[in-house]
Amino acid sequence: MDFTFTEEQQMMAGAFRELTDDLCAPAALRAAFEGRGESSAARWQRLTELGLPGMLAPESVGGMGLTLADFILIAEAAGRAALPETLVEHAGIAVPVLSALSADARGAAVLQAAVSGEARVAVSHPFNPFIVGADQATHVLVLTDHEVHLLSKDEAKLEGHQSIDALRSLARCTGSLQPGTCIARGAGASAATALAFECGALLTAAECAGLCDALVALAVSYAAERSQFGKKIGAYQAIKHQLANVQVKLEFARPVLYAAATQATVLSGRSRFGVSHAKLAATDAADLAGRTAVQVHGAMGYSWEVDVHFYLKRALGLTGMWGDRSFHMRRVQQQLFSEHLAIGPDALFGVFKELP
Amino acid sequence: MKIGFSAAQEQFRNEVATWLAEQLSGPYADLRGVSSHTAMVERRRVWEAELGRARLSSVGWPVEWGGRGASLAEQVIFAEEYARAKAPSRLNHLGVELLAPTLLSYGTEAQKTRFLEPIVMGKEIWCQGYSEPNAGSDLANVATRARLESGPNGDEWVIDGQKIWTSLAAFADWIFVLCRTEEGSRGNRGLSYLLVPMHQAGVTVRPIREMTGHAEFNETFFTGARTAAANIVGAPGEGWKVAMATLAFERGVSTLAQQMDFTNEFEALVKAAQANGQATDPLIRQRIAEASIGLSVMRYSALRMLTNAESGALSHEAFTYRLYWGVWRKKLGELAMDVLGPSGEYAHGDSPLAHDLQHMFLFSRSDTIYGGTSQIQRNQIAERALGLPKEPRGN
Ligand SMILES: Cc1cc2nc3c(=O)[nH]c(=O)nc-3n(C[C@H](O)[C@H](O)[C@H](O)COP(=O)(O)OP(=O)(O)OC[C@H]3O[C@@H](n4cnc5c(N)ncnc54)[C@H](O)[C@@H]3O)c2cc1C
Repeated sequence: MDFTFTEEQQMMAGAFRELTDDLCAPAALRAAFEGRGESSAARWQRLTELGLPGMLAPESVGGMGLTLADFILIAEAAGRAALPETLVEHAGIAVPVLSALSADARGAAVLQAAVSGEARVAVSHPFNPFIVGADQATHVLVLTDHEVHLLSKDEAKLEGHQSIDALRSLARCTGSLQPGTCIARGAGASAATALAFECGALLTAAECAGLCDALVALAVSYAAERSQFGKKIGAYQAIKHQLANVQVKLEFARPVLYAAATQATVLSGRSRFGVSHAKLAATDAADLAGRTAVQVHGAMGYSWEVDVHFYLKRALGLTGMWGDRSFHMRRVQQQLFSEHLAIGPDALFGVFKELP
Repeated sequence: MKIGFSAAQEQFRNEVATWLAEQLSGPYADLRGVSSHTAMVERRRVWEAELGRARLSSVGWPVEWGGRGASLAEQVIFAEEYARAKAPSRLNHLGVELLAPTLLSYGTEAQKTRFLEPIVMGKEIWCQGYSEPNAGSDLANVATRARLESGPNGDEWVIDGQKIWTSLAAFADWIFVLCRTEEGSRGNRGLSYLLVPMHQAGVTVRPIREMTGHAEFNETFFTGARTAAANIVGAPGEGWKVAMATLAFERGVSTLAQQMDFTNEFEALVKAAQANGQATDPLIRQRIAEASIGLSVMRYSALRMLTNAESGALSHEAFTYRLYWGVWRKKLGELAMDVLGPSGEYAHGDSPLAHDLQHMFLFSRSDTIYGGTSQIQRNQIAERALGLPKEPRGN
């Protein structure tokens, strides 16, 4: 057992964080939202330069052959930056799913382009009522329990919707699914759809942890700056304790998240338990962080001018996607009461030890 | 102790219910269910006048000022029926619920005569000029100044400074302003409570956008703004006392109407949960039950608080109550989003009901901030009700 990240993992995440500090500086985010600033294509280009899109693809197709545990810090940093681009969906869900289905020639071709970042793949999943970031995608991967389809953007006939999060676009696929676009059927398709779900739930949890981090940082810096009654508000325990409570939630969510990342793709009862636990812990932390950050900012926090609401709304969207709170709580309950799950002291770390 | 209403009170209920039903299915059908504070302003002005003519603008006021001298029970009944009828939110709530009671307690006869009738008849809409960039929780830190000057219009207050977060300033006709009238004074001394017309060159308003995307609150700038010397409530330098009285009204009978709005929101949430199946989820059901318990807790507490306060002065319970409802509504907002599930992310929701719930979620983020944050309420409960030592301050 070892909860430390390797030097390479930390370096990669560090480089990505530096990039997002620039790409997602408050002014850049506002510019992106108002349709000014660097074009979305140029931003995406910079994201691909680090090789991020192919992190989870096998080396044989030009990827890095890494695992979700390697990607988890990237997803967390994407959340922390409220990255408008759907890098996480592309690199963390679409690419591994396409890699698993690369027997199909069309799938393999798009995978190749997706690894380089030339193709941008959005994901449609039965658990989500909409597709995120489809307007900037070249392809849509449509997962269902029986078939997986890979559609070009034209074939998908997208119907766009605004999100409450001004930095995210939503869409529904209105095109009908034709045999020609199918890249997997039957057991292969349902396994891919199940895999996508675990990746999606885990990585949105990571993004929520990142959002929580960003919200705490915003609130802490405001609390250190704003004075009332002749003192910095951060000097009042009522403010300190609220922020400390969020930090505790975040620090308790992180190990759960990292542990789940090492197991998520196993698709076992244990791994699902871990992913659900991570999603619950991280979304709860982000939720408390959003509430607290608004409160610490007072009326400022309720205004559009301060960035708090961008993060709060992103967290709101992510909380509902890839299984909402009730769903994941149900899954934890089901696992706990299933006969296959050992729950004694020797099973405390059972997430790491698959039962026969 | 007695819970329930007498026959005469039920008769009053009938009268109100019938009147509202007639109006809101007839001439004012377009206003039914309008809950936004900024929508249909002109129509809602007309509605205010209609209420005024029926002496229903403020049933609790004395008869001579356009009310009915209604008892607390009747005021409760009115609030219930108003919400049940889905009558529009009160355009002039700051005038009706905050300024008018302040004038009734502290105003001169001339001020009552001048200002109350236009409030009752919806002719003058009011906004509240308390907060400033450096005076939020620490309201006594206001820096906006006013000085008396003689001029062609007689003696006038000349006001300079800036207010912020002024709700409804964009269309208000008057503002009640807490400002410093004693040069060099500090804290809550040397403040005065002035009534200032908004439509003049010395007042400019800049809207501030909220996280909802709307702009209900504003920055209000005073640069040599003027008001007649007589437009001061209480004596010069006694503004703090008057301003605190206004805040107490904010926590008084007006909470009843608000509570009825909560009941409507709760009902909408339950409907949404039934429609999309979430009502079968045990976790959601449990939270709905908790919210419902919270509603009754608030209802009984409010009634107890108000019966104890018939004298006018609010007890410490008012702070407890303010704290409770803010936290309760915020949780209701969170529950609403969980009920909506992922489709809650659609901007404006994917149905009118979802839109309302989403808006309630966003708006409720501020329920523990305006009119005194939860932290300040807790300090007040601890210091005033429990008598604990005061928080150390820097000033
Ligand atoms: C929707 C909305 C409408 C409003 N409408 C109006 C209006 O019409 N007119 C008007 O005048 N104002 C209005 N306000 C302003 C409102 O009254 C203030 O926001 C409120 O008093 C808090 O002040 P602030 O926002 O400056 O926060 P601050 O006072 O800066 O507080 C920031 C944080 O510090 C905490 N804090 C401050 N002091 C202490 C302490 N001593 N101990 C512990 N914690 C502390 C607060 O609780 C808060 O969490 C409105 C606000 C909102 C959100």
